[in-house]
Amino acid sequence: MTTTTEFGIVYAVHIITTHFGSVVSKVCDCLLRRGPLSSREISRLAESDINHNKVKDILCLLIHQNCVQAFSVEPPDGSESKATVQYIALFSNILHRARYSKFAKVVNEELGSQCGGVLEALLSNGRLTLEQLIDRDRDSKKSIGSEAMRDSLEKLVAARFVERVPSPEPVLGNKEEGPAQKKRGAKASKIFKEPESLEERILEAATPVDAIRFPIIFEQDSSSALADEDSNVSEKKRKQPDVDSSGPSNEVIWRPNFEELIRRLRHKACVEIVKERRDEGCANVLKAMLEVGRTQEKKAKTDKSVPMSMGSIYEELIKTDAGREMTQERVEECLEQMSATSSYLPAFVIETDDSYIVDFKSIFSVAQKDEMESVVMRRYGKEAFRMFRYLSQEDRFVETDKIADAALTEKKDTPQILLKMWKDGYLHMQKLAVTGVYMPFLLWKVNKLIVSRQMLDEMCHASLNVSLRLTHEMDSEKELLLLPMEKLEGALKERRIKNRAKIVLLSSTRFKLDDAIMLFHDF
Amino acid sequence: MSKRKRPEPKSSSSGINEDEKNILGLIRSKQGMGATTYEMRTATKIQPTLITRAVASLKKSSLIKEVPNMNNKGIKHFLAVEFQPCKELTGGDWYIDGALDVSKIEGLKEICVRILERLKSKVVTLDVIYSYFEKASSDGDKLSREQTREILKNLVLDNVVMEVKSNGLTDFSATRIGEICYKLTGKKSGGGEARDGAFALVPCGACPHIGLCTPDGVISPTTCVYFQKWLDF
Repeated sequence: MTTTTEFGIVYAVHIITTHFGSVVSKVCDCLLRRGPLSSREISRLAESDINHNKVKDILCLLIHQNCVQAFSVEPPDGSESKATVQYIALFSNILHRARYSKFAKVVNEELGSQCGGVLEALLSNGRLTLEQLIDRDRDSKKSIGSEAMRDSLEKLVAARFVERVPSPEPVLGNKEEGPAQKKRGAKASKIFKEPESLEERILEAATPVDAIRFPIIFEQDSSSALADEDSNVSEKKRKQPDVDSSGPSNEVIWRPNFEELIRRLRHKACVEIVKERRDEGCANVLKAMLEVGRTQEKKAKTDKSVPMSMGSIYEELIKTDAGREMTQERVEECLEQMSATSSYLPAFVIETDDSYIVDFKSIFSVAQKDEMESVVMRRYGKEAFRMFRYLSQEDRFVETDKIADAALTEKKDTPQILLKMWKDGYLHMQKLAVTGVYMPFLLWKVNKLIVSRQMLDEMCHASLNVSLRLTHEMDSEKELLLLPMEKLEGALKERRIKNRAKIVLLSSTRFKLDDAIMLFHDF
Repeated sequence: MSKRKRPEPKSSSSGINEDEKNILGLIRSKQGMGATTYEMRTATKIQPTLITRAVASLKKSSLIKEVPNMNNKGIKHFLAVEFQPCKELTGGDWYIDGALDVSKIEGLKEICVRILERLKSKVVTLDVIYSYFEKASSDGDKLSREQTREILKNLVLDNVVMEVKSNGLTDFSATRIGEICYKLTGKKSGGGEARDGAFALVPCGACPHIGLCTPDGVISPTTCVYFQKWLDF
């Protein structure tokens, strides 16, 4: 699931440095580069002199901010050794820190500004109990009161934007029977699923069942069966209905549910792509389809939605103003349009019997292709763009001369252009030596997985660069930025305006770049 | 008194010797690709000087011709006169004197786009475009069916035109169901436009030195000239 690239790590460490300082970032860097480690190993391996106690404090901070997850592995049967606690950095959650404003916007739009405020408090603090949220509200200038706070939190949990914190230290089963499983024959290979990464296994083990993760709070008492013994949740006791009477020790701790927040951004991006590639009507129908299938999506990065009937889509559609303007016939037309496939656009919706399935993978493949091709066009030129598109279409190894013929490019220049793209990791090349021919034939191919990884790495690099440049621009005019605009005149005023324009451009670019990173990493 | 030159032994009535006969056979067997002197030497085991003499003699007798290789002008290919040089040597229909005729290709592409823009149905088959080029007044614009297809395919690779299969309805009413048709890309044509990539809009997206760029390196975002230019308001 998580593909960490070199600049992905550098970018993640940069985010941690700006939020928590360089010492914390060293621990994070160590975990990102070396994988899961115990606290002792971290204090030994982290580059600077960080003692064990300090490492523990840093790990506590990173866990509190949802950037690190602790776990332990069950010792093998018969072994007397104790399971040691290890820590794993959650790369995706670190990158999410750069998109908190997007998450807050999603909640503001759907549940209103009060809920948005509660989510923002949780995002900036990492984890909070209701009591802590109420205390914070009491101290703020725009206090909304404890009842409103409780209502907002209830709404956020019901909409799954907020969840109960996961198990602090899940125990992983000792899974060493990998090769033995393979021997189970053809039947097993047919149902063989891609193995889960360690991070996925840890997160799965740490996540409590839905009834505990999203409890119907405030309606049940402390003896609620929701907090079961095996849930591994430290805050097992349910919160008392009376917020004032309960101490922090037995209160439920809440945190933002990134899975749901990313799902909403994913759906929004899907609707945008369909709107650009088809029309407003299709986008409205797709939006309704996503709403129908959302609750049944098991993970955020799902390839296909559940099948849904025309009736259920239309029922959902007429709940919106735009949907009420559409007749069922028009909806059918849109569905037909989205089911159509051509060499230019794949089908966004799959029609099966009387139901329809949203093909997320194909929708995002279109946007990813656009992103890749526009980079090829800008960096290597029009000829390279044609060659890249031709090789993407062919999806096999093609000889240099054939590429030149298909793309109508000068045969002498073609190898140089292809070599440039190959050097940057945008093409895959193989040499084919033929007896009697002095020069080996060069065969080329676009390997989408490799290109996606390369793009993700470069985009993280670019995002890091934009962020560093933004800091540089802000620091260079630090004093000028402190002065009120109305007091500035002439050249100084102009300088301030220019600096402001630079900051706006860099900030909006970082925002858009993050959308592109999500397209390749989170969607 | 000068010594009389001894005539070379002629093996047949056609007036060519044994070496020349072997070389001609080899050249003929290679058809449109012809043979280089290196290939003649390795295939026939004849001495290099004799090969040079034989090739000159065959050329003089108009039995073979010399064709340069467009990929490497230093290498000469010898073809039997009855064969036309193959695509690998000349580069194909789009090459003139070993160079790609880019201006002609671009001109033809423009014509195709204009035809598509003018058409009410917005959808066109290969035959319609071909009939236009077939009737073209100037020889330069005359194209074969295959060449027309190549031009349209090139426009598809440019992402200017898209290939669609006819369903016989509305815009496709004048075409057979299942026939390959061409239409312009873009919002109005129903296929939507490719979005501008966010990464391509940042200087780093087009930067040839991104691999050398590091936060504290010689090339860094704070000293980058491309950034400087981009942020120069």
